[in-house]
Amino acid sequence: MNRFQPAVRQHLNSTRLLSVIAALVVLAACGGGTSSTGGLGSGPLLVGVLAPFSGADASFGPRYLAGCYAAALSINGAGGVGGRQVSCQQFDTRGEPADAVPAANAMISSNSNLMGVVGCTSDEASTVVPILDRSHIPMTCMTGQSEFNKTTFKYFHRLVPPDSFDAYAMIGSALFGPGHAPYKNIALVFGDDIGSQTFVGPAVAALNKLGVNIAINQAIHLGASSYRTEVQKMLLTHPDVILTETIGSAGTYLGEVKQLNGGKMIPFIGTSATIDPVWFKQVVTAIGLPDFEANYTAVDLALSLQGPGYDEFVTQLTAADSKYSGSQALTYKGKSPTVHLYDGIILDALAMVAANSSDPTVYNPKIFDIANGVPGATVVNTFKDGVAELKAGKSIRYVGAAGENNFNQWNNSQQGYNLVTMDKNGNEVVIGQLTQAQTQQIIDAGGNA
Amino acid sequence: MNSYYAATLAVYAGVDIIACIALNLQFGVSGIVNFSFIVFQAAGAYTAAVLSMPPDNAYGGYQTYIGGLQLPFPMPWIGGAVVGGLLAIPVGLVVLRKLRTDYQAISLLVLSVIANSVITNARAFLNGAAGIAQVPGPFSDQVDPLAQSYQLLYVALTVPCVLLVWWVASRIVNSPFGRSLRAMREHEVAATAIGKNPVQLKMTVFIVGGVIAGLSGAILVGYIAVWAPSVWLYPETIILFAAVIVGGRGNNVGAILGALLVPVGFEEATRMMPPTIGGWVPPPNLIPAMQWVAIGLLIIGFLWFRPEGVRPEPRRVFEGAPVREDPERVLKS
Amino acid sequence: MELYVAALGFGLISASVIAIAAVGFTMQFGITNMINLAYGEVMMVSGYAAFYVNQAGVNIWVAMIAGALAGAALSYLLNRFLYTPFQRKGTNLIGMVIISLAASLMIANLMLPLVGYDTSSYVIDQGQLLRWNGLVLTAAQIAIIVVAAILMAAIHGLLTYTRLGKAMRATAANPTLARNCGIPTQRVISVVWLITGALCGVAGVVAGMDSENFSVASGAGYLITIIAAAVLGGAGQPYGAMIGALIIGLVTELSAAAIAPEYKQVVAFAILVLVMVLRPQGMLAKRGALAAAG
Repeated sequence: MNRFQPAVRQHLNSTRLLSVIAALVVLAACGGGTSSTGGLGSGPLLVGVLAPFSGADASFGPRYLAGCYAAALSINGAGGVGGRQVSCQQFDTRGEPADAVPAANAMISSNSNLMGVVGCTSDEASTVVPILDRSHIPMTCMTGQSEFNKTTFKYFHRLVPPDSFDAYAMIGSALFGPGHAPYKNIALVFGDDIGSQTFVGPAVAALNKLGVNIAINQAIHLGASSYRTEVQKMLLTHPDVILTETIGSAGTYLGEVKQLNGGKMIPFIGTSATIDPVWFKQVVTAIGLPDFEANYTAVDLALSLQGPGYDEFVTQLTAADSKYSGSQALTYKGKSPTVHLYDGIILDALAMVAANSSDPTVYNPKIFDIANGVPGATVVNTFKDGVAELKAGKSIRYVGAAGENNFNQWNNSQQGYNLVTMDKNGNEVVIGQLTQAQTQQIIDAGGNA
Repeated sequence: MNSYYAATLAVYAGVDIIACIALNLQFGVSGIVNFSFIVFQAAGAYTAAVLSMPPDNAYGGYQTYIGGLQLPFPMPWIGGAVVGGLLAIPVGLVVLRKLRTDYQAISLLVLSVIANSVITNARAFLNGAAGIAQVPGPFSDQVDPLAQSYQLLYVALTVPCVLLVWWVASRIVNSPFGRSLRAMREHEVAATAIGKNPVQLKMTVFIVGGVIAGLSGAILVGYIAVWAPSVWLYPETIILFAAVIVGGRGNNVGAILGALLVPVGFEEATRMMPPTIGGWVPPPNLIPAMQWVAIGLLIIGFLWFRPEGVRPEPRRVFEGAPVREDPERVLKS
Repeated sequence: MELYVAALGFGLISASVIAIAAVGFTMQFGITNMINLAYGEVMMVSGYAAFYVNQAGVNIWVAMIAGALAGAALSYLLNRFLYTPFQRKGTNLIGMVIISLAASLMIANLMLPLVGYDTSSYVIDQGQLLRWNGLVLTAAQIAIIVVAAILMAAIHGLLTYTRLGKAMRATAANPTLARNCGIPTQRVISVVWLITGALCGVAGVVAGMDSENFSVASGAGYLITIIAAAVLGGAGQPYGAMIGALIIGLVTELSAAAIAPEYKQVVAFAILVLVMVLRPQGMLAKRGALAAAG
């Protein structure tokens, strides 16, 4: 089922290249007239948000949708993709593969103008990625599953780290992080759900190889009403630090840690998914702000959350918040998925403009080029700037709301990890970095696939 | 409507019809409230998966599971059906004794929750919460699973299974065995008095239902290529119960109608709902939530206005026997 | 060893939370013959009612009253407008079970757009952590145990010493005979739903206090545990439910201490299944499980 799809059917020979440039020049000369859209076609374009909107992970869908709204407004405000207006539509996978298949098929069947898809979480990615790839739809996926670390699906793109890398970064934080000696006794506390278990395997492998003691490897059932016995068990192993994610139950667990440890909190390191206002609120409510600030660190891809790309994102997100009143878009301002998927859609749109084609087999490879930048590319931070530079005949590199992207050969975007924490308002603050050597040491130990 | 979506609907319809026929045998005809029904479908799916998958170090070894025998079609499907039936034996022995119907129902519900929790946590067994992915469908090494022709092939494999199951179920329902089941459902004490052994009857239909449910799981997993605990949480059983009630209990046509109306028709129809109503964009989670409300209303509405379902169970009258007009009895059961 | 004593203490808290809920649930079944699978959702709604009052600045222990009122009102309405009409129509037991399931689906999904998918927490002062001989409990947790004990005593008093209680027991044993003796069974049943609804409401608030955060999805989680405790003790037997709650609470926490904690719920349910096999009528029931089918 992992079929290599030849992504580019036509080769640009020099004559075609010249005529494309000529068309762009004509476009520029006409001052952006909309009548000659080249190969971009006409009519509205659709971005599909294929994600859970109901079920256990129902909170995921809306935050992806918000990113799409912001991207659509940014694109449309700059004239659309060759004049074509972009809109967003949700397609509920209900958080499980059997419902995701008809959702994906229905989406493709009813919409011939799909320019890209965002979402595809670990709940359903294994089933929908092949379906989307077969239909040549560029996707920006949220799944952290290791099976996509070396994927052969050409239309798959991932702007978030695989969970195994998060695990390695957390270990890096425990061993090399600032402000403390290397921790010697590490407790792993993760949920027994699909999204959590992908951290544990790599973490255990790496820690064992590095000779660091695992105090306890505890899988808890997320959503339970209390974990007192589990916490007590963990405390008896006297760990120096807890590595955790436990979305939804972190407040319960960590609150009970503080309680049962006589009011004293143990340092804890979270995954990139914990850098999230809801997680922040839950845990701060449970253990109080001072203890949170003193004991919490997390890891994240170098997510800048500042700069002109991010400013544009916030502007459009604010507009989306008032235009689509039920979406609560602005609450997702600091959420990594919202920001990353916004960038993913902008990349899709810029790729279409750069390739001057609405044929995904033509513009899909461009996504890679625009994200990584070819030598001599001009850096742009918004869709509008990108279109302007492309019109001027330049090649571009889009450094967006989440900062730089660096796709490897499998369309996984990696770069260095930051060690971060959250300030009293829940905003991300960078406190350190792992060097390439440190990261590599752990990755080698973990034997990453 | 492209061919992939049409094929998806066809396969899903087939799977749901087979499942509803099985549930109807257990619940509609025999009165066993099997609130753990979905576990049997899951057992069949997992079995078919581990029988058809390569050993678990394939694809980089990112999942762990037992089996991995790489058996060709039709072994996985047969295996799935067999295991569904085998699982029914211990479950039936534990639950189907002289327990009151509602107690049976509750213990089966609890068993279904236990099963899901155990499978989720025993990672080495069936890869835990992540489930098993990249399951090869039948003939997937000869025909490209991503091609249109494969979709046709799959529908062509599903349809005979549906017909076979329908035929078997009809034979059961219209046989002396079926009459015994209905007698037991209506009045267990009386049935016992004339020499029927309700425990044995229940076990038999429980096993037969398990076999058919297992087959439905095997068919589904070959198509979607993935199976995880999230696919078989206990509300899935409720949907199937709603289907059987809405369609009409006690008869196979009713089960088929119910399968087409509820899991296929109703769930798919709500996918088609427009994203905006007038100019108003509803909050993203609203429509999926309202869908479940509608399913609840559907169940309650049908039980109030038409408890016998869209296609009621045909009343069986024997020539020469005095016909007792007792419409209340039909409505109540 | 210390861990087990601590687990015992934790088990007591769990048992207290479960007991309040299970007694209400089992009384609903015993007296009105209704397996109310919407019980968990009513708990969740009451928990949110108390949450909003708590957010308005009221102390959570006082807001608990709001929860109790919400639970009582919702349960009463559920019975009056959904369950009783179907029962009057002659719907059989299983039909009623399915209807209560449908009701629970609807309640949960109507709450979702209102309160959202994220978790919420009460503002509560846990108080000092007290250690005694290995037991580790906060002041608030001890207060929960005390509340549970008071409520159990109150139910005992109600059933044994008051006329209403006697009427309830009569209605549970034989409604027709009770009616013939002049007991206004309909009114008794309405009162039962109000009282058990209030218990349900308190249970919802206490569960929310116990677990630091809760959400709409918590309702379904409560239900299975409550059913386990009620059935364990013998359906319809309030004292049985108390014992069942104690067993489930203690076994859950002790098994989390002894074996892998992710299975702790499974162990509790396995105990339930074992009891259903060996003693299907539960610990204390005299009739019940072995009655004729249907």
